[in-house]
Amino acid sequence: KKIRTKQKHRMEASCLELALEGERLCKAGDFKGGTAFFEAAVQVGTEDLKTLSAIYSQLGNAYFYLKEYGKALEYHRHDLTLARTIGDRLGEGKASGNLGNTLKVLGRFDEAVVCCQRHLDIAQEQGDKVGEARALYNIGNVFHAKGKQKLWGCTQEPGDLLPDVRDTLQKATDFYEMNLCLVKELGDRAAQGRAYGNLGNTHYLLGNFVEAIKFHRQRLSIAKEFGDKAAERRAYSNLGNALIFLGQFSTATEYYRKTLQLSRQLRDQVMEAQACYSLGNTYTLLQQYERAVEYHLKHLYIAQELNDRVGEGRACWSLGNAYVSLGNHKQALHFARKHLDISKEIGDRNGELTARM
Amino acid sequence: EEKSSAIASSQIFHSDGGEMEPETMEIKSVSEYFTKMHMGSLMSKQ
Repeated sequence: KKIRTKQKHRMEASCLELALEGERLCKAGDFKGGTAFFEAAVQVGTEDLKTLSAIYSQLGNAYFYLKEYGKALEYHRHDLTLARTIGDRLGEGKASGNLGNTLKVLGRFDEAVVCCQRHLDIAQEQGDKVGEARALYNIGNVFHAKGKQKLWGCTQEPGDLLPDVRDTLQKATDFYEMNLCLVKELGDRAAQGRAYGNLGNTHYLLGNFVEAIKFHRQRLSIAKEFGDKAAERRAYSNLGNALIFLGQFSTATEYYRKTLQLSRQLRDQVMEAQACYSLGNTYTLLQQYERAVEYHLKHLYIAQELNDRVGEGRACWSLGNAYVSLGNHKQALHFARKHLDISKEIGDRNGELTARM
Repeated sequence: EEKSSAIASSQIFHSDGGEMEPETMEIKSVSEYFTKMHMGSLMSKQ
């Protein structure tokens, strides 16, 4: 009996050590390494079901950040089952919220709403205001994603929406507003920033560009308050996009320039390429074709460096158009041909047709 | 500031509807739970 007790203690200690290392790695952003330690901890096993629930939950989150959503779903489901088994209501709420977020990313919106709503119900039942606010934000995100998906299938213009899509996006704003109200009460500025950002994005899809700008400006101000450069870059980019739809192209270029500057600071080449593309397009709208060429070329070089053939094709198409406007037909033809080749290579039928025109 | 038609811009900008704020995942921390347990057992010994 003594030997068995000793073995049990050793197993518990080993499981805990492995889990703590997994947790340390995940906190440092090494999710791959973290999952290896957490999975080893599960292999060793523990009789402490609350520890096991925390391990499953963190495994689910790590796989979520690694974009392995099938595995994330599996672990968050294990966590939910376990939390229910041990009667841990707050734990059940958290597992439901995580499950909801994962189902949302997988496009399973109706199931996601059920899970997020359960998170909300449990948080309210337990008087957990922080959990309640987070659940409201998550439900808003599910309706936003659902609305956006419906939007792709039916319209070209932001704001030109079918009633069903409008209703879904309106629900998203309702939940974000409720979230905002609560996080203001809680004095949680970081959460207010997130609510403002997504309210801005939802109003943008609804075609309420003036409202969208108002919210993105508030988001920007909180991002600056925290020195959160990634959020600041996001806000500038979203502000630029909304201003384009109001026809305020010069101000849009100022914001896209800030986006470009911050992308470079953050060493985010994908966003740098996106900012160059937006600047190229905005200078085209301003009929400043030389500057448009300058930015489309920058976009092209980064796309080539990143081996992003879709981006490269887009850059060539834009360059072809800009050179036509400048009367440089030789260069226009060169880029139109490149666009055609890339479209054929990646099987972009629309691109191919556009290039042939 | 230019106030030209927005039609052209919507054709050029295939925006995906803006960049979203990050998701907030709920965290269950092993170390926090362990610390609480440890503190609890110390308190009960006192």
